[in-house]
Amino acid sequence: MATARPIRSMDPYAEQFWAFTQKKELRLQQCSDCSKFRWPPGPTCDKCLSDAFEWAAIAGRGKVLSWTTFRRKYFEEYPAPHTAFVLELDEGPLFVSYPVDLDPADLREGMVVSLRWTDGEDKFGSYNLPVFGPPSP
Amino acid sequence: MVESFDRKRLAPLKDTVAVVGVGETDYGADYRGSGGKAVAKGEARYDSYTLASRALKRALDDAGLNKDEIDGLCTGPTLSGERASELWGLNPRWSGSGDAAQCIIEAAMAINCGLCTTVALVYGNAQRSMDTAYGGARVTGGGITSYFYYAPWGMTSQGALYALFFQRHKLLYGTTDEQLGSIAVAFRKHACMNPNAVMQKPLSLDDYMKAPYVAEPLRLFDYCLINDGGVAIILRRADMAKALKHPPVMVSGFGWSEENVDATQLRPRLKDFYHTAHRGVAAQVYPMAGVTPRDVDVFATYDSFSVHLLASLEGFGFCKEGEGGAFVQNGRIEIGGELPCNTSGGMLSESYMQSWNHQPELVRQLRGGLGARQVQGAAVAQYVHDVAGKCKSIIYTRGG
Ligand SMILES: [Zn+2]
Repeated sequence: MATARPIRSMDPYAEQFWAFTQKKELRLQQCSDCSKFRWPPGPTCDKCLSDAFEWAAIAGRGKVLSWTTFRRKYFEEYPAPHTAFVLELDEGPLFVSYPVDLDPADLREGMVVSLRWTDGEDKFGSYNLPVFGPPSP
Repeated sequence: MVESFDRKRLAPLKDTVAVVGVGETDYGADYRGSGGKAVAKGEARYDSYTLASRALKRALDDAGLNKDEIDGLCTGPTLSGERASELWGLNPRWSGSGDAAQCIIEAAMAINCGLCTTVALVYGNAQRSMDTAYGGARVTGGGITSYFYYAPWGMTSQGALYALFFQRHKLLYGTTDEQLGSIAVAFRKHACMNPNAVMQKPLSLDDYMKAPYVAEPLRLFDYCLINDGGVAIILRRADMAKALKHPPVMVSGFGWSEENVDATQLRPRLKDFYHTAHRGVAAQVYPMAGVTPRDVDVFATYDSFSVHLLASLEGFGFCKEGEGGAFVQNGRIEIGGELPCNTSGGMLSESYMQSWNHQPELVRQLRGGLGARQVQGAAVAQYVHDVAGKCKSIIYTRGG
């Protein structure tokens, strides 16, 4: 059984995003007309209003922008302390995730991190959760 | 950036609408309950309408107006305008709803368009009694928003979002926890001069630093209260605002600018500190009122978290970007200092009325006679509303 996680916000676009994660693929929508990547998933490109897009695989690399450590428990699934961070992906969007294989005390502004996977499950089913750690050597 | 607004259209609206009445519930007494002990979360006491009704009655009394003279109604969160009108026997020709600044601006525009003359703006929130949650699994809200989109990673709550904001500020500018702490300490000092404030216990910087983190780097005292209350404000066409109980307080300037692109992925929050929205509002509100930040005698900002003050001081030009931390130290934002901020104690220490409570405070500061809490010679008061980059500001001045 996969690890229980707080419930996902689900709509047809999010559903597709999470379907890719079941295959351990981190794909974001990329506008077919202007190439802008978008996140979170949604129906149209905010740059050119096109609704044509493809799910483009991303490199899975980002730089640390900011982080917070929850000292109070907000979710049963995440006992305190729990650190979450925000990355700036190479493709442009900012991405919320959390650090693995990395001591939160060692986080630095601009630090390069790369994609890892962990498991997750909620009422919509099981999936893999994209998380980030030190770049592979 | 191309200016999408026309200054010439705003300028004639200066001083055309006045605040003639304000009313609030007994925040501190209600919080402490009849036995003097803090009312437990989830202990149902009064509903939002009861609280709002009390505030409305007080605001009408404060103005010296009869409810039949109200021909416009604005309701804040948790209230339905239809139900409120029915409950209070009001028959508004025009109605609106929104946050405090939004309602003030909408009402001023409606009055200026001739849709109504006298608007009651009413807010009520029984959030402590209802045990309202602003983070975690019980958070409610519509669809995809930054509020809970990131729940699978354990990342929700407005406080955590502002913790990310402050962490970024620390990383870029070297802002310290002690500097941030100066804000909570100053607001608490003000609350201790305000008999209606919920928090009456003095708070030292040492107390602040020893308090536990909630979402690090934010500590307990960086967070606003959760309490019950109601607020009402009566706005009236300026030429009808004379010869009431109090001299009118003029709505001299307002501005509105939002920053929503890529907001859910937190870009405007973390890459811009919402300063683009702040600058957009500043370009409207100061020229309209005919003042500059240097003329502001008393300042209030939406303060669900202490961090808001850093953002608005920098964004509105009271100091340079990145220098907010240094600005808030050494009593500068305290009563008696050069820019007294959130003089009622704000939402951190007076009452969490989603900033509706800041409006009566600024009005009373301009009326004068607040005793120890009075900002001497206050003639220009500014309110800044910035919730996740949806920024508005109001400048009030002392009327004749
Ligand atoms: Zn596009």
